[in-house]
Amino acid sequence: MMAVRTENIVKYLGKALVLKGISVEIKPGEFFFVLGPSGCGKTTFLRVLAGFLFPDEGRVFFGERDVTFVPPHKRNAAMVFQHYALFPHMSVWDNVAYGLKVRKLPRSEIERRVREALRLVRLEGFERRLPMQLSGGQQQRVALARAIAVHPNLLLLDEPLSNLDAKLRAEMRSELKSLQRQLGVTTVYVTHDQKEALAMADRIAVMKDGQIVQIGTPTELYRKPNSRFVAEFLGDANVWEGRIKNVHSDLVTVELPFGELKCHPPSFPVSEGGRVLVMIRPEAVAVEVNCSENIEVTNAFTARLEQAIYLGEATEIVARVGETIVKALHFRPLDGGLQNEIRLRFAPDDLTLLPHEVA
Amino acid sequence: MKSDLGSLPTTSPFSLTRSLRRIRHEYSPKTLALWAGLWLVFLAFLFYPIAFMLKGAVIYEGQFTLDFFKLLLRDPQLADALKGSFGLALTSTALTLALAVPIAYAMVRYRLPFKSVLNVLLLVPMISPPFVSAIAVRKLLARFGPINQLLISLGLVDPTNPPSWLDYPFWGIVVLQVLHFLPIAYLNCVAALSRIDRSLEEAAQSLGASGFRLFRTVTLPLMTPGLFAAGSLVFILAFTDLGTPLVFNYTRVVAVQIFHRVEQALEDPTGYAMVLLVMALSVAVFWASKRWAERWQVQTIPRASGETGERILPLPFTVLITASILLVTFFAILPNIAVLLNALADRWFMTILPDRWTLRYFHQLLVYPLAATSIRNSLLYSLASALLDILLGLAIAYIVVRRKAPLPHWLDGAAMLPLAIPGIVVAFGYVGAFANTPLDPRQNPVLLLIIAYAIRRLPYMVRACYAGLQQVSESLEEASLNLGASPFWTFVKVTLPQIVPHLIAGGIMAFAFAMLEVSDSLILAFDQRYFPITKAIYALSNRLEGGVQMASAMGVLGMLVLAISMAISTRLMGRRMGEVFRM
Repeated sequence: MMAVRTENIVKYLGKALVLKGISVEIKPGEFFFVLGPSGCGKTTFLRVLAGFLFPDEGRVFFGERDVTFVPPHKRNAAMVFQHYALFPHMSVWDNVAYGLKVRKLPRSEIERRVREALRLVRLEGFERRLPMQLSGGQQQRVALARAIAVHPNLLLLDEPLSNLDAKLRAEMRSELKSLQRQLGVTTVYVTHDQKEALAMADRIAVMKDGQIVQIGTPTELYRKPNSRFVAEFLGDANVWEGRIKNVHSDLVTVELPFGELKCHPPSFPVSEGGRVLVMIRPEAVAVEVNCSENIEVTNAFTARLEQAIYLGEATEIVARVGETIVKALHFRPLDGGLQNEIRLRFAPDDLTLLPHEVA
Repeated sequence: MKSDLGSLPTTSPFSLTRSLRRIRHEYSPKTLALWAGLWLVFLAFLFYPIAFMLKGAVIYEGQFTLDFFKLLLRDPQLADALKGSFGLALTSTALTLALAVPIAYAMVRYRLPFKSVLNVLLLVPMISPPFVSAIAVRKLLARFGPINQLLISLGLVDPTNPPSWLDYPFWGIVVLQVLHFLPIAYLNCVAALSRIDRSLEEAAQSLGASGFRLFRTVTLPLMTPGLFAAGSLVFILAFTDLGTPLVFNYTRVVAVQIFHRVEQALEDPTGYAMVLLVMALSVAVFWASKRWAERWQVQTIPRASGETGERILPLPFTVLITASILLVTFFAILPNIAVLLNALADRWFMTILPDRWTLRYFHQLLVYPLAATSIRNSLLYSLASALLDILLGLAIAYIVVRRKAPLPHWLDGAAMLPLAIPGIVVAFGYVGAFANTPLDPRQNPVLLLIIAYAIRRLPYMVRACYAGLQQVSESLEEASLNLGASPFWTFVKVTLPQIVPHLIAGGIMAFAFAMLEVSDSLILAFDQRYFPITKAIYALSNRLEGGVQMASAMGVLGMLVLAISMAISTRLMGRRMGEVFRM
């Protein structure tokens, strides 16, 4: 298992500055995700790790080895390409054996490893097929088998599931995760799909415009994003603009159009009168249908139910507190029709303060 | 974990340190060596001869002078030739386009019967250089030749005083050039038409335009890049065509004037000046059309598959259009048929068709020394030049398409330069630049002929390789590198197997065109022992006893080689064949 470290990677593609100084430290055996919208530079970063691109500034380390300018074929960092890049003129077997033949392994060893790899991706019996005789999911598995057969120090995955249909994608998610655990290989996975990242990652780096915005575990990022961008990119979020009313060591009161919210102090400095954003996930909003009115509870507000969409496992609620729209997810059936008064409660633990951004 | 996100780089992408960093790390030393080698080839065999002529033309006895250019422009004979070449090229280009545009339009936009057959027939005139047909046609047009005999028997001309067609060599040359260049213009027009986004025409139609108005206001303007491309290509070819005027003994063109100065290349610097003038002109035309094409470049949106966009016309129109195309095609193929008839004619005098047939001249090709040697020579030269082309084309395409060395666009530009620089220029430059060196064509032209052929056809070869490489997804190569294969191994195991058809197709075309190359062959081969086919044809055509017939027999042979080669190449390249002949 190998650690990977990059120091301030800068890369221009033509005149465009695509990577603006990327520094990450990936732990040995970690399943590391790079998540971001298209065009944020995540694939460029992956190609720098693979050695297809050399950075214009900065360094890349595999363990203690400086690999910044090591050509791709000398890195032992196997990649699974977005469109698989299976050699069309070679059978499944030859595709998987390719990297092993290049390494001039003895025949018996090649045979053993190809079988092992095909077994791991559950493609035994397809050895003689040509890539074009396989379905998308099968091709994807061949690409994966080809990459793991060489026992890479680093496994790179470039949106490997983006060409599969939704059902297969969900299936492959858990499969990939358990395969990565089994192999224990340090893995970098690039995607724009936040669900994939949350489901599989040990840690996620969220990228935007060639920079990393935040790095953390899925729960950290989801529950404690450091910016509106991260909050909204990782899932549905209510984000409201407010003004700090007062600051105590363990509690911050924020004034919003519909009332005051008590929150935990954020990691960035705040001062009374300063503008902030308040974020809460829809599923964290507590919805009370039959509210007993006279009980005084913190952060609870009466709201008008505007829309309720029944999704089966939950009900998506759009409500209005004063003029402010609140999205909520309610996990019990909602009896009673629209126009009902409901009560919404925002627990301080679930509220996150975000720095106010000037557009 | 680092919380700071690194400072923003402020320097520009093109700083010196970054460029050095790129050159040092991104390019492999082997590829750089290959790159340098390619530039050496271009320097030695493309730029040096031109530079040599330039020096010869402007420096006399150590002094800079423009006297030779002035001399050139004052010489009435040369001024006349310049005018003649211009007139010829403009006339040929205009007529060629006037034929090619409607035919291309009909072929692309209408549903016509036997379209695939028509498509092949339209390309047939490519298989023989116009000068070979000229030899046969000259005989056809003789005062008492078959054409006049036909007209006499139809009662159209006076049998005692038939018109003397050969008194109008200008129009003879024009006709032959137009018929020969038609396929190239046609291919370019078809390409231009199919690049047009059909929804633009549909938009015009929905706004009420139709028929000729639609064509004039939308289709034609959108076609202009392709039209300019085709036009400039034809113009340059016509302007510098040496063989056809030579056969018609028409000296009022620059190419022939240059040809007659080859012998005194070293003594008379006006030859250089003239060649440079021609080169400057054709490069300017080429450049202008390129610029024009870029200005008009329209992004096409690919159509949903299955929709051909062919319109069905009422039956009478369909018949009329098909018949017209067939008629043009018939005339375009006629010179080739004339070559065949000449080769097979035992006696052909005062009759419409030969009255006795023979295979004697084909047999003579095997035994008559000049013919047999030249065929053997041409096979050797062409094979060598095709192999050279494959190597050069592959290396250039690899470097350019995959950006494996600095300044790939410059390399591409150098490789495409032979499209703009006429064959006579390069050949003439070789004669001067390599005189009294081991490569001196007066002593032994073999190497220079091979190189000249290779460089002439290099643009086509490079394009065939481009087409091939662009089909191979770069990520396949990356996957191979990523799995630990070296760049060379990757090229051999992954890239090469997938572009073999293109290489073969390009190589065959290079071979076939080398077999029938005219200007280099006529200019560079001095000694009979080294004559290639075309020079032998030219030499034979001036002999009295059976010379024309033997020349024609050799022409038939060449046409066969070219036809077969084109068929194979088209099979291998599929629909991408058209791309090779475009600008």
